[in-house]
Amino acid sequence: MTAVATPEVQAPAEEVLAPLDEVADLAPHSPARGVLIALGKGLAIAVPVLFLTTLITFALGAFSDQDPAAAVLGEVATPADVERMRHEFGLDRPFYSQYGSWVWNALHGDLGSSWFTNIPVADSIVERLPVSLSVAGLALAIALVLGAGGGIVAALNRGRFVDRAITAVSAAITTVPAFVAGIGLIIVFAVLIPVFPTGGYVPISAGIGLWASFLVLPAFALGLDASADLARQLRTGLVGSLDENYVLGAQVRGLPWRRVVLVHALRNGAAPAIAVVGLHIPRLVGGAVITEAVFQMPGIGQLTRDAALRGDVPVIQGALLVAVLLVLVSSLVVNVVLARLLPASGRAA
Amino acid sequence: MIRRALRARTAQVAVAFLGLVLLLVITGDLFAPQDPLAQDTGAVLQGSSAAHWLGTDYLGRDVLSRLIAGTRVSVFAALTAVVIGAVLGIVPGMLSAFSGKVATWTSLRVADAFLALPFIIFAIAVAGLFGNGLFQAMVAVGILIAPVYFRIIRAAALSHAGAQYVEAATLLGAPWWHVLAVHIWPKVLPAVVVTTANLAAGGLLVVSSLTFLGIGIQPPEPTWGGMLASDLGYLTQRPFGPVAPALAIMGTVAALNLLADAIRDASGDAGRAAEALRNPLKREVADVR
Repeated sequence: MTAVATPEVQAPAEEVLAPLDEVADLAPHSPARGVLIALGKGLAIAVPVLFLTTLITFALGAFSDQDPAAAVLGEVATPADVERMRHEFGLDRPFYSQYGSWVWNALHGDLGSSWFTNIPVADSIVERLPVSLSVAGLALAIALVLGAGGGIVAALNRGRFVDRAITAVSAAITTVPAFVAGIGLIIVFAVLIPVFPTGGYVPISAGIGLWASFLVLPAFALGLDASADLARQLRTGLVGSLDENYVLGAQVRGLPWRRVVLVHALRNGAAPAIAVVGLHIPRLVGGAVITEAVFQMPGIGQLTRDAALRGDVPVIQGALLVAVLLVLVSSLVVNVVLARLLPASGRAA
Repeated sequence: MIRRALRARTAQVAVAFLGLVLLLVITGDLFAPQDPLAQDTGAVLQGSSAAHWLGTDYLGRDVLSRLIAGTRVSVFAALTAVVIGAVLGIVPGMLSAFSGKVATWTSLRVADAFLALPFIIFAIAVAGLFGNGLFQAMVAVGILIAPVYFRIIRAAALSHAGAQYVEAATLLGAPWWHVLAVHIWPKVLPAVVVTTANLAAGGLLVVSSLTFLGIGIQPPEPTWGGMLASDLGYLTQRPFGPVAPALAIMGTVAALNLLADAIRDASGDAGRAAEALRNPLKREVADVR
């Protein structure tokens, strides 16, 4: 995602927010106010962006050369049949009217039905979302744990061997794309040392252990890149804040070192790292498509790919919309967390 | 700028590697030791040997020959995307540094909207909607990276838009295209070069991902991503099969990124705009990977 707090947009965001402040009646610098401002700013950007992306998504389908009538009826269809079919799908209406009803229906959870199987798109997506969310969510968790651990350890051992080792390893990892990492993990941990399955997916209802065993490799493949980036940013941020006077001050006041690092320094040094997490979320969503293909998992990625190979427009549109929504919502969350954690981030950026 | 960048050892290695890749793009399968499509059912899934340096795949085709023959498609597709992105993004980016509030706000929201679309999913969708072709998919990726150019070039131009010599030129009656071409363009050039190298690397990864998924490529034609996918099915027989195409992809991507880093470091002040890519709080763009 883009850095959301660009100077250009602050004026309209504040106009939106003025009434909010009155309603909430908050102290001028309370943390809650910062969160509300961040939320308002985020929404002021996310809503127009969402509108534009729905327009792009829908226009793509509308102007594509895919025609359900031709697709469903085959090449022997008479012109009259094609015309009737186009009417049935509403394709003979003007663009704005088609777009309007698509958005209206989408707001009510109806994304239309597949041209080929007639299965409602929303149902297919709901059925497959747990797979993609499991992979992406676990990947995010791995990235946070590995990245935070690595970054903190590296910063505390600045200049020593551990620090240089962590920095070198993370620099190397960031050049490895997720699908190559996935193939590497399969070769090592599923073929040479058969600990994990090479691919596939079982729902969580089949047992948490079994479910996790299918998820470990794909989640690592997807999360490694983010964890390396996170570790590097956290190390840089933490090294900077450990040099600050308030850290020395806290030490002088006799606070335990663990508290100084984890509360004082980390809170101030974590901002770039959190921003990096926000940037990685679209990649996790997009990368999940490739990772699902490497590990043959029946997720949103497979749905999109199959639909694309067949030219199934409603399914493609629905999947794209859900992907964009995931990206926008998660970047909104990251920005709010950033505002809560670091009240100055909104002013600085 | 380029000469200074080439003083770094890593940049020399990167340029040498990219030169080799470029040579393979130009010559195609001329240097391929064997026919990349010739099948030999008597020698499938072999390891390295004198006859097949990198072994053979599941149809007995020579892996080294396929790797060489696959270079052109992969690199061409990545360049298509980058060129489209540059054409659509650079000039609007420079212009937007001078535009009014409304135009700026609107253009930034449009850029945000495109950047919110996940690259791979969008490229797959476009390939599916406009006929299953790699070219269509890469045009889509080009449109998606145009906002990246737009953002970076805008940021680079913004610091010069208010400079006194620009003001002076405008007051002397220079037309806007003259100001852009003579005063702004040289200042944003380092940012353009660095961004292009970074995006070419990203584009190559997207091409590899798409061909890996089977989007836009007819099966017998060799591509790096397609080779990865076909080798993945025969891991038990030939566990190190995917290593060669994976190294080809990663090597080229790493070379492009190293070159971008070297140019960024060498271009000093002017490269700072592209530095925004490095500092996430100031980072105006989502880099592609």
